[in-house]
Order: sequence, then structure tokens, then C-alpha cells
Amino acid sequence: MKRYTATCAFALLALAACGAGDTPGTLPESDQDAPEATESTAVQPPAYNADRNAYFGDLHIHTQASFDAYIFNVRKTADDAYRFAKGETVRHPSGFDMTIAGGPLDFYAVTDHAEYLGILPAMNTEGHPLNGLQRSQDMFSVDREKITAAFQTVGSSVRTGERIDEMYDQDLMDSVWAENIAAAESHNQPGVFTTFSAYEYTAVSVGSADGEQTFAGGNLHRNVFFRGAAPSRAFSTLDSPNPEDLWDWMDEQRDAGFEALAIPHNSNVSNGQMFKRETYDGDPLSVEYADQRMRNEPLVEITQVKGTSETHPDLSPNDEWADFELYDRLLGGYTISATNGGFVREAYRNGLSLLEAQGFDPFRFGLVAASDSHTVAGAYAEDDYWSKVGIVDGLPVFRGSIPFGNATDWDNQPDNSTTRNASEWFSRWSASGLTGVWAEENTRDAIYDAFRRKETFATTGPRMKVRFFGSLSFSPDLLNDPDLVSKAYASGVPMGSDLIGDGSAPVFLVWAQRDPNAAALQRAQVVKVTAAGETVYDVACHIGKPDPVTHRCADNRSGVDMQTCAPTGDGAGELKTLWSDPNFSADTYATYYVRVLENPTCRWSTWEALRNGTPPRPDRATTIQERAYTSPIWYSPSQ
Amino acid sequence: MRQLLREPLVRFIVAAGLVLAVLGLFGDRQTSDDLTIEVTLADMQRLASLYASEAGVAPSPDEVRAIVIDHVRQIALAREARHLGLDQGDIVVERRLAQKMSFMVSDLVEIEAPREAELREWYDSHKEKFQRPAAFTFEHVFFADRDDARIEDALLSLNSGAADDWRRMGDPFILQRQYGDLPPREIVRLFGSGFADAITNIDANAVWTGPIASAYGAHMVRLIARRDAALPEFDAIRSAVEADWRSATTRLQNEQAIGEIIAKYKVEIEGVSP
Repeated sequence: MKRYTATCAFALLALAACGAGDTPGTLPESDQDAPEATESTAVQPPAYNADRNAYFGDLHIHTQASFDAYIFNVRKTADDAYRFAKGETVRHPSGFDMTIAGGPLDFYAVTDHAEYLGILPAMNTEGHPLNGLQRSQDMFSVDREKITAAFQTVGSSVRTGERIDEMYDQDLMDSVWAENIAAAESHNQPGVFTTFSAYEYTAVSVGSADGEQTFAGGNLHRNVFFRGAAPSRAFSTLDSPNPEDLWDWMDEQRDAGFEALAIPHNSNVSNGQMFKRETYDGDPLSVEYADQRMRNEPLVEITQVKGTSETHPDLSPNDEWADFELYDRLLGGYTISATNGGFVREAYRNGLSLLEAQGFDPFRFGLVAASDSHTVAGAYAEDDYWSKVGIVDGLPVFRGSIPFGNATDWDNQPDNSTTRNASEWFSRWSASGLTGVWAEENTRDAIYDAFRRKETFATTGPRMKVRFFGSLSFSPDLLNDPDLVSKAYASGVPMGSDLIGDGSAPVFLVWAQRDPNAAALQRAQVVKVTAAGETVYDVACHIGKPDPVTHRCADNRSGVDMQTCAPTGDGAGELKTLWSDPNFSADTYATYYVRVLENPTCRWSTWEALRNGTPPRPDRATTIQERAYTSPIWYSPSQ
Repeated sequence: MRQLLREPLVRFIVAAGLVLAVLGLFGDRQTSDDLTIEVTLADMQRLASLYASEAGVAPSPDEVRAIVIDHVRQIALAREARHLGLDQGDIVVERRLAQKMSFMVSDLVEIEAPREAELREWYDSHKEKFQRPAAFTFEHVFFADRDDARIEDALLSLNSGAADDWRRMGDPFILQRQYGDLPPREIVRLFGSGFADAITNIDANAVWTGPIASAYGAHMVRLIARRDAALPEFDAIRSAVEADWRSATTRLQNEQAIGEIIAKYKVEIEGVSP
């Protein structure tokens, strides 16, 4: 109900009173693409490909069963989430329709917060025992101070792990967990669409960067995924706020037959805690810690709505593309998150330092991406964006892409809670991202196995495909070999793998294909990380070859017409090369991953300004370069 | 007339007239005071300016219509909730009451098992939902460079049988060289819409044609089989029909239950004759 939002948006965490019933629209069209037994045909159906297909999905979606989504007026369920991913239209709490950009996804996972899963809807339901609590009356009252106070007790409980006994109803949470599992089961269609039983473990580090205890906290969230069957109860921060206890639980579940893995996200706002070089309690890391972490967390989410976690200009001063869709506010506040310990590339480097010094690497993870949408529907396209929270960021004015108060320019904007939240939070967020996996077929087993192999890549939204192999024995004419992919698998290793040296220099195959329905490609890069530092090499260019000294492509002069957001100039449909590291040292551990850049396109905030007829927000980028990041290949010297 | 339509009040009234038409679908309206919902011009102006102050632009006639429908719906549900004793009397409470009532309605609706005839009727009247999309089985030879000199000879050598093995011609393709039963939607996703349009226009006669441009380069294509869009027999997809019927019926009955509540009220909108 968009007309109610602003009056109620006095504070992000105090929106309980802004409820309004869902306005039902027309019944969504079914996206009928029923799998039929293929009749006899000469060729093998796309169902199985030994050379592996690229599948795209979102592994991080919330529904009304998440305590924060509910307070932001989301009233859609896991069933609605999967319908959206399959191409159906779903209503946003602000009253407009959401349809997935770029066509249906191949896989999707609802990851509701396990803490108080489904409790808030019950607290707000007349006749439910939890509705009688004073806390419920306060949280769903009309008194903003009471609402804020009541909701903050929930946030505080999730953070500290101290249960609020009166609203901790294990049976109710288990039943909602069972409903989410059932929704995943009913939408899983082998060969067509894959779902997982999954949830979010919502750990938050206590205290802020300056040591002060505030509501703002460092994000240590993880999403937990089950390969097949899931246990009847989800381990949450109300069992323990220490992620290492989650790993213990996952180890136990695995022994009991419930194979699982966890994917951390938003290390960028973890206040430097996600990849710190000590345990949760501050003890030194050990080989046992590294083994357990890697057994349970083989992947990390590198980009989502709340910004990128690849690297930061302070950490990578020689990377011209490091300053990309950064977001640095701790959860629930305006406090700036610590940089060190919060970024993937630095973690790779620290991992190699630990490996050289102590013989273990706890940060040898692959890369994925997701939206983290709380509206059941991910917004992946710059030109069709709805952010992620619900009614507080559902309209352009709330996310600060257009001036407040119907103004025609950005001069003399008022300072109020809407403009502050837009400035500190929502205007900095991104239309991102998707996970790509290389799997033989679109089934749970094949996709989960790709997670385990780390044969995954992350994109900021477009569905570009990136292959990356390393080998000590690739033949120089491999690039034009008709059996390129199968030979690359046969004589090399794919992304996510270790490459053990024999003294000779490895050769890498980098191969990217654009999303045919998005912008063309500008360049492909290899990022090399060692314990001593990092280098970004352009390895394939839209035009010409990289300069051998600067390792940079020439400018392809492609851009955007700022009056229309239409692209100007060309780009590459494919980028493909065999690359050798010009500074290779056979005795040095090195981590190599690929980054592929699209030509510039308008950022979502520019699209919204254009549609509104007002200038783009002056303190945000007007264009971006969408990109893909692959899981690394880790080179180790021969033993 | 155009000038007249730009007048905000006229726009409200035009839109509000459509509101009555929509609400009229819910059935007879009652007449007693407690069962009358009045929407005055002042109400509409207030709702519209609230909208404008938040959205930054004046509502369009469509938006006005939606605003007024929501307003009526909300008042009706809130009053119903008050009849159940949930009364507090505040605009915010009113919204919450309407919301709670809407959830209660959802909980109260129970769907019985459908009769066979009902399902068949659903199938007959929603054929477009159960349509199996067209599918294309094809092979392709890829050239990354659209001006590749090999392209000219490729067609001849492919169709004359001179080519040893089409799989070894052209450039390696990052995905597959052959696809079975691919629906147009997938072809768009994998190759772009230009390629998808082109492939629907070639004959499924296993003769190589091309070059066809994609977002990546040029392709020689051999269409092995084309399956037209078709409606599967009812018996083959009975369970899918039932699932669809059940989900739509649940949504519909929720709406009807809310509609019945609204129908208890007479809606009077200032400036619009009933």
C-alpha cells in the first residue's frame, strides 16, 4: 500500500503499524512448461551434458516467515517465491507487480531466518495464544516507541542468542520449517527447476567498530542448504550465536544422513569478523578449525543487494575496478563496518599466508551470489528494480533515486528519516546477484555436487557464462579444438579446484560468453593472489590484446547515452584465451580467479531518475559495469 | 474534453465511477447507516494527496481507482472486525484490523475435493495454462566471427556430405552443439531473441541452413525436429490441473469471502450516481 508507507517509515525497525492487507490482483498466469518425456530424437536432450551446462539461480530469499520481512509488510510465502522464480507474477507489499527479469531461473532457495521462524505472523494473528502477549500488542500497536522497543527486543535476542521464552515456540517454528521444506519439495522438478530445503542462520557480532555496544552489529549470517532430506529442526542463533557451533551441528547432521553446507554472506558488513584470523572466541586458528570450516562452508556469497564483498580500494589500490557497488553500513544502523577481515580477496591472501606459515587454509572457498530479497522476489535488472526489504524501500523516493517531495532537482533536500535512510542505506544497494553453476543437468544432486566441487561463479545480475580451467599440459592449439571443453576437463582442472605443480608453468583457459539479453562484454581478467600481494591482469579484450607491460586492454570506447540509457558502441559476444602468468613462480602458492566485465550500463538509480524526469542522484555512480567472478583455481607447488 | 480530463477532481470521479462498477461485482448493497460506506470528494482528495506526497507524483486515474477500491475494502473489513469486537478506533488500527480480518478469512476458507466435471471445465477454460510449448531439436555449427571466411563454404560442404563431421567444424561453442526439445523461451535465454525468431522459421528437414546471427556470432543450423505447441490430453495432466485448480480456487474463495463482507455495505461515492 504505497500511500501509507512514508507516513509510517519513521524508522526502519519500527514499521509494525504500517500494515495493510494484500491487495489481491488477478490470478497469476501459470508458467506451464511441463516436462514431458522426450520422444525419440536423434540428439541427446539438454537434460544431461557431460561437458556441463551453466545453470543460474538465487540461493537467498526470504518470505513472510522471516521476522524482519513480516515487519516490513511482506505477506508472501515460499510457494509464492518459487512461483516467481518460475516466471509467475507476484505482488510487492507496496502494491506493484514483480516479474523476473531475463526469464525463469533454473534453481531457487527460500532461506528464511531460522530465529523465530513464523513467530511474528502468529503474534499478529487474532486468536493465536502468542497474540495475547504484551510484546505482541506492543509490536503491532500504533505507538511507534512501543513498536520499536518490542521489535528491538527480537533483534537483540537474535544477536545475543538469548531466547525470549514467551515467544519461543519450538513446535510452531518446526511446523513453519516443515512448510518451507514442503514448498521446496513440491516445486522441485528434476530436469526443469531445482529447489533446496534451506534456511538462514542469523549470527551477528556484538558491538560496533568503535567498540561501543549498539544495536548495529557485524553480519555473520550464513545460509544452510541440505542436499536432500532435511532434519525436522533448524539450528539457529537461539541455540548458539557462535557459527562454529553451527558447524558442529552440521557435522552431526551429516553423520545422521542430512548432508548440508553453509554459505556466509555480506562479509562486507561483518565489521571485519567474517574472515578474521582467529576463532569466534578469539583463539588462534588451527588445522581442525580450517578443516571444519571448509567441510561446512565451501562457498561464499560475493555480491548481493547489500553490496559486493570482493575487495575494497583500501585493500586493492591498484585495482581500478575495486570501487564497485560497495556498501559498508553495519546491520540496523549507520555505523561503518571495519574493512580488514571483510573481503574475499584479502581472505584468499590471508589463507595462503596461513598455509605457508602453518600448513592450513580456512579461506579456500568458491564464489556464489544471490539477492537476499525479503519480498520473495529477487530484483536482478537495473531497469526493473525494487530493492529488497519491503514497504520501506519499495518506491524510488524511499531509496533516494529521485528527489524527495516531488522536487525536480537535488538542491535543498530536507533532512528527514526517509532521506537519511535513502542516503545511508538504500541508495547504496544494488540490483544483484545470481549464482551460476556448471552441472551435468538441472537436478538437486547435480547442482549440489557442483556446490561441493566449487564449480560455481557469481554474477551481479546478468547471466553471462564463464568457464575457467587450469592445466600443466594444455596444448597450444586447444582454443580451436572442436573438443575444447571435454579436453579441458580431461587434461586440466575447472574452477574450484586445486592445481598441483610439477615445476612447469600452468596455462589457464578463460572463456566467457555474454548474456544474450544483456550488455556485451568489455574484458576478461585474471586476479592473482599470493601471500605477498595481488595483481589484476586483463587477459582478453573486446578489441585487440592486453598491453604486455600494463596488462590492460585498450579502451573500447563503449558507453551509455545518458539521455536514454541506450548502449553506445560495441562489445564482445565471447572472450576466449589461453593465458600464462607472466610472473609465475613454481614455488609460490597462488590463487587465481576470473573477473569478467560488461560494457557500462545505467545503474538502477539512473533508470529511475530517467523515468522520473529528474537528474540522477549526484552522490552515486550513474553507470556500472556488471560483472562475473569465478571460483578460484588454487596453485600449489609440487610437494 | 481533454482539458476537462486533466482536472484532478474530474479524474477522481471518472475513476471512482469505475470503482462502483468493480465493487458492483460483489452483489447487492445494503442500505442501513452502519452498512453504508461513503467516499466523499474530500476523502478522495485526501487519499490522492497522501499518495502524491509519498510517491512524489499525482496518481493516475488507474491509481486513483486502486486507491479508492483499497479504501472501501479496508473500511469494510475494519468494520467487520469491529463487529467481532476488535475495535480500537484509530486509522492505523483500522488498517491493522482490516489486515487481521483478511488473514482470518484466509484461514476460514476450506476447499473441498473437486468433482471430475469441475476439473474438466477448469481444464477447458484455462487451456492456455496447460499448453505445452513448442520445442525445437537442432544442431548448430558456430563461428565466433560473423565474417569468418569459412562460413561461405560451410553450408555447401555440410549439405553435400563433403564434411567429415559437423561437430568438428567452426569454432568450439561454450555450451552445447546440439539441443533436444528446447522451448522458445529457453532458446531466447541461451541464444537471444533474434536467433530464436530465426529458428522458428526454418523447416525441420534436417538440411543445414544459415548463417543465423546470435549475440555471439553466426551459426549454421540443422533443425532435426519441431514439435508444435499442443494441449496435452486431460488425463495425462490431471494432477497438474487439480493443483492449479486448487491454488486458484483458494485465492478466489478468499476474495469472494472478502467480497461478501464488502457486499454487506452500500458504497456511496460523492459525485457518482450509483
